[in-house]
Amino acid sequence: MIALFVFREKLRGFYGKYDVFITPVVRFVLGFLAFHLINRDLGYMTRLNSILVELVLALVCSVLPYGIMAFLAALMILAHISSVSLELALILAILMVIVGILYFGFQPGDSYLLVLTPIFFHYNIPYAIPLLVGLAGHMASAVPVCCGTAMFYIFQYVKQNAGVLSGDTSAELIQRYAQIVRSLLMNQAMIVMIAACGAGVVAVYLVRRLSVNYSWAIAIAAGVVAQLGMIFMGDYVFDVSVPMGSLITSMLLSVVFALVYYFMAFAVDYSRTEYLQFEDDDYYYYVKAVPKISVSMPDVKVQRFSRKEPEYLDEDLPDDDDEYLK
Amino acid sequence: MLNENKIRLMTDISMLEKERSRDLTLVHRYFRGDYIGLHLLRSLLGYTFCWCLGMVLVGMCKVEDIISAMSITDLADYLLGYLTWYIGGLAVYLMITFIVYFVRYRRAARSMKLYLGGLKSLERRYELSDRDREQPGKGVRRS
Repeated sequence: MIALFVFREKLRGFYGKYDVFITPVVRFVLGFLAFHLINRDLGYMTRLNSILVELVLALVCSVLPYGIMAFLAALMILAHISSVSLELALILAILMVIVGILYFGFQPGDSYLLVLTPIFFHYNIPYAIPLLVGLAGHMASAVPVCCGTAMFYIFQYVKQNAGVLSGDTSAELIQRYAQIVRSLLMNQAMIVMIAACGAGVVAVYLVRRLSVNYSWAIAIAAGVVAQLGMIFMGDYVFDVSVPMGSLITSMLLSVVFALVYYFMAFAVDYSRTEYLQFEDDDYYYYVKAVPKISVSMPDVKVQRFSRKEPEYLDEDLPDDDDEYLK
Repeated sequence: MLNENKIRLMTDISMLEKERSRDLTLVHRYFRGDYIGLHLLRSLLGYTFCWCLGMVLVGMCKVEDIISAMSITDLADYLLGYLTWYIGGLAVYLMITFIVYFVRYRRAARSMKLYLGGLKSLERRYELSDRDREQPGKGVRRS
């Protein structure tokens, strides 16, 4: 265990020393992943569907705020979808503008969650994101997580219905709009997952803030229960079935992610908890102080003992090398 | 000679200034009422714009229903329904805006209070050290 704590301290030290380089690299990787997945899933516009475009966009995003990354990703999605169905692109653009104005007017810093959530969904660990966001963020972060979830299901819808959407159907324009909106907004699997993610974030956040021992661990458990509860309720109400094997695997992986974050961000020693009580002119204070677990880095000093080469004076050395070598 | 306490206090103040510069600027620039009022106005405009966009979306999907509403009363019913949604949603949204910016301003005011407290404490220290420098023997018993 001590080795893990030492490793954590080393990681922290490393990040503290090189954060100027690490942050842009992380942004670059995240941006590249996002643009690559968009191109892979919705690569309908051939001009954008190239690794060079992904690299250039990721490079731009590496030095700009996350909001710009979300904005560029949204533009890319709209460009791809517009080459399949202009109506769907228009509807999506309206929905994106509404979310952008109503939510990101308050919390512009949360926009990375819009990019991160579909990536987690793509790698089949969607349950990790509500746990991590509940531990690291605040309750309102449930909104971008839910929007990211909706975005993933819109990707799926476009992927599955690209042929129908791009085909010159006999349906009138108005009917097509109505059909698309109904398919987008009434997707029951999407509704269930949005409810699960929202409930997960809120449950984790609320329990994490409680003043009880092991609140973070309990919060992770509460998040898992809330998500599973929503999924089973969705199964019961909407008849949306989720394969049990993948659900359990994904949930276990998500818990591992959450525990790793818990270890990295909130390592405290509850056995040494102290309760203090004091007062000033205005208040009485009842304080619970939980010490952080901190280990000092091992200060390893290597002392080298080496035999020095003897120093000879010139007159001590034999004149003839051959004679010396005999 | 270096005064360790003073250095620590100055470091704390500069850290606070750096970490909460946004809060400090906010309190410096706005009164609470102005700050919250400005954001309420922004929210009102933003919500109205979004509602109009939403209406475009609804209009695209339900244009047939709206056209088939033969009488003026039916049409008025439609409009009244959407207007109710607008007013209800707006009330909720403005309430959220009020709470968010009220809490933010209160937090910023607390930061400013801490910052000013630190500055006052530092000023007092300077005054004390100046006084000691001007009257070096005061308060010291000399035999």
